[in-house]
This record gives sequence, structure tokens and C-alpha cells, in this order.
Amino acid sequence: MKQVGLFLGCNIPFNRPDVEYSARYILSELETNAVDLEGASCCPAFGTMPSIDIEAWAAASAWNLVLADEKGIDLVTGCGSCYGSLNEAKHHMGQHPELIEKINQIYAKVGKEYKGTAKVSNFINFIYEDVGLEKIKQKVKVNLNGLKCAVQTGCHNLWPSEAYPTSEDNTFQPKRLREICEAMGGSAPNYSAITDCCGMGALRSNASDKSLALFKKKLDMIKEELDPDICVIGCSSCLMQFDAGQALLIEQKKLNYQIPSLHIIQLIALALGADIDKLTAFTKVPLDGAINKIKGGN
Amino acid sequence: MEESGVNVINLNQCDEEFIKYLEKFGAHSLKECIQCGKCASTCPMALAGLDFYIKRIIHAATLGLKEILLEDSSVWGCQSCNRCVEVCPMDIKPYEIIQAVRRAAVRDESCPANTYEGLRNLYKNGHAVFPKGFEERRKKVGLPEKPPTLTSHEELKKKFQEILKQTSLADVAPFKLD
Repeated sequence: MKQVGLFLGCNIPFNRPDVEYSARYILSELETNAVDLEGASCCPAFGTMPSIDIEAWAAASAWNLVLADEKGIDLVTGCGSCYGSLNEAKHHMGQHPELIEKINQIYAKVGKEYKGTAKVSNFINFIYEDVGLEKIKQKVKVNLNGLKCAVQTGCHNLWPSEAYPTSEDNTFQPKRLREICEAMGGSAPNYSAITDCCGMGALRSNASDKSLALFKKKLDMIKEELDPDICVIGCSSCLMQFDAGQALLIEQKKLNYQIPSLHIIQLIALALGADIDKLTAFTKVPLDGAINKIKGGN
Repeated sequence: MEESGVNVINLNQCDEEFIKYLEKFGAHSLKECIQCGKCASTCPMALAGLDFYIKRIIHAATLGLKEILLEDSSVWGCQSCNRCVEVCPMDIKPYEIIQAVRRAAVRDESCPANTYEGLRNLYKNGHAVFPKGFEERRKKVGLPEKPPTLTSHEELKKKFQEILKQTSLADVAPFKLD
């Protein structure tokens, strides 16, 4: 049986465990053993150790990379920030052997060693490359029935491409998430703001109104150009903006429509027959319209 | 802002030592910037309407305007999205200049309070984001109350903290690393 280390991060296990439930469900359905990375930490988030210095960043990221090295497994994560922070730290170490030397001096004190053998993937690339779209097609139990999806890959899942183990042919015209939705029977057209930032992250923490206004601008373009049944998201931070952030805009009477939003992990879980109440347990924008469409409604 | 709408930069404020300081913290190619503005065309900070966005931050950095850079908190609104790195024609890695300014600000205690909150959470709990009530949320979807991370492994957490104590966090944290 294939195996992969499930890197949870922070937001998925603590804020959106419905995404964790979905991740465990789909890995099991795809005959992949989800290995728990016992004792994993935060990736670390960009506003923490990466903002102190490169060595502090590498030391914290290496904690997780070493846990994977020790188990001889690769990692997969549903969080864009984790994908970015872990891969960027790995990239910095790969380019600077003297940095690895420093990190290993530190790790020797706790009896560990950084080798840098583990690959860090996100769920988009994992499904696209390691599982394959054909296998997804075979495993679908609930066809999406033409569900119109507006996809949001998420910036950390795309850039900086030089730090990543794999990349879209053109990172400014991402296609992988669209193709995954299509493989499950959905439609996922291109739209002009497809790579625009959702505003979640440091911007949301430090300039909340501006962040939500940036998000609304993107959502308005999605509504006008596609008028989709659902937004399908590749990153847990983007998901929180598209779902909870959207609910907040509605509450503030700044938005007069709503588009349900799921992580791609949740949408795959839905198509593969997972418990719908569990896989959407913390979804704020109601999914009724999308579910109705999948069941054969309009 | 002057009445004419033009910002006048007092070049006497330029601090060459500060430029070297930023270079030390990762702004290696700072002087190569030609101020073409390509980074600003893709920067979420600029598109969201922050006045002091990537191109202007780099301009201030190339002039060594230490006070302006440390007093303004815009760098902490950077999404770390790396669009700027992807499009920069001079390959100066603009994001790394933002990070260098942050690293200088941390050492000057000029960062927002939520930065310290994230660092404190990371050190104490192993997670920068550590919201209350997660146990109930996890139970609702049939998962164990605690994830299999450092939350469930006290002994490993002590080792993780030992690692963090060996980094510059020990010099900049406004809390005790015990």
C-alpha cells in the first residue's frame, strides 16, 4: 500500500477539522496509508520564525522535515502556507550547505539530523501527479453532474515556483485544480481573476477591512464572469476567507449574494462518498444549492 | 505628503549602515533594483490599497531610510505570496527584502503585537495558530480531541523548544523561553 505523511499544520486540525476528516477519508479511499507525523509543529507561519532570520526559519521547518526523513516518507498538506514555508526553507537549505551545517549543529543537541530527503507536496499536486486523474475518475461514487466550479489555487501553492518540487506549466494560468474538478464530473472554466489573491493571511491580520475589500473584488469578478455553483479552494487559508470571510461580508451587509466554498479535499471527499455532515461540519456559507445540483437539480 | 502631492525625501536621513544591515538579513540584491514597478503590479498589498507597498518599501530600503521603514507597519501586511519574486526582471527577490525589513523591525521592537502572539503560541504550543475550542470541533467530526502534533507529545515539545532556544528567537522574544 502506498503511504504519505499527512502534514496538518494549524488551521486544518484546530479551525477546520472537517478538512482533516476529508483528507483522511480520501487517502483511505485512494488506497494510500495516511501516516501521522507524530510531534509535528507549525510549518512555521511566515510572520513568525521566517520574520526573525533564515536560520531561525530553517531550524523550525527542519523539525517537520526531520520527522519525515526519520520515517522515510514524503509529506502532503492542505495548507498553502505550510506548503510554501516548508518548501522555501528546504530550498534555502538546499542552496546553502553552510546553513544545513548550522541546522545540524543545533539538531545534534537533541539527537537528530536533517537530511532533506522528504518531498513536500500539496493536495493539488499529489492528486494530479501521484494519484492521477484516471484513478479519481474510477473512484468517483457521486458524480458532480456539471457542478460549475470557480477554482482558487492559492498563491503559496504557485509561487515561488523555483522552490517547489513541481509546478504548473504556467503559474499565472493554473490548470491542475480545474482538471481535478472536471475529472469528477464538474465544469471549471477559466476566469480573469483566477490567480488574484484572496486577501487572507498577514493582510487580513493587519488590515482587515482592506483584506476583505480585496476579497470582495475577486468574488464580484467570479460572480459576474462565471456565476458558479461553488468555489473550490486549494489552500486552507483561502478557504477560511472564501467561507468565513464571505459570511462576515454578508453579516456586514457588504455582499448581497453567496457562493458556497469547499476545499478541494472536501469536494473530492464528497465525490468519493464521504459523510456529508462531517465533511462540511464547519462550512458557514450554506451548500444546499450545490448539493441540489449534484443530485440532479438545476 | 506635500501639497503638490509629491513626497520629498530628505537624503540626509539616508543610513548606509542600515542598508548593510538589511543585506545581512537577506536583502542581498537590494542595490540591483531598477524601480520598474513590476512587483507593484502584482502585489496584493498594493492592490488592497496600502500606501506603502512593495515598490515603495524597496525604494526606501535602497535609500536606507531606516526611520520610515521601521515606523511603518506595512511590511507586516505582506502576504508572503512571492508574486513579486516570480515577476521581478532583475531577480532581486523583493519578498526577501520585505523579510529583511521585518527582521530589522523585530530587533528594534517595531513589530505589531500579533507577531509576538504568533511567536508565543509557536513556542508554548508548537503552533502559531492555536485557537480555543478545537477539542469540541474535532470531536464533532469523529477525530481525537488532540491532533497527533506537538499538542499530543510533551516530550517532543521540549525538544522542539530546545531547538528554538538555539535560534535568534532567544534574543528577540519578549517572553521567557522556559
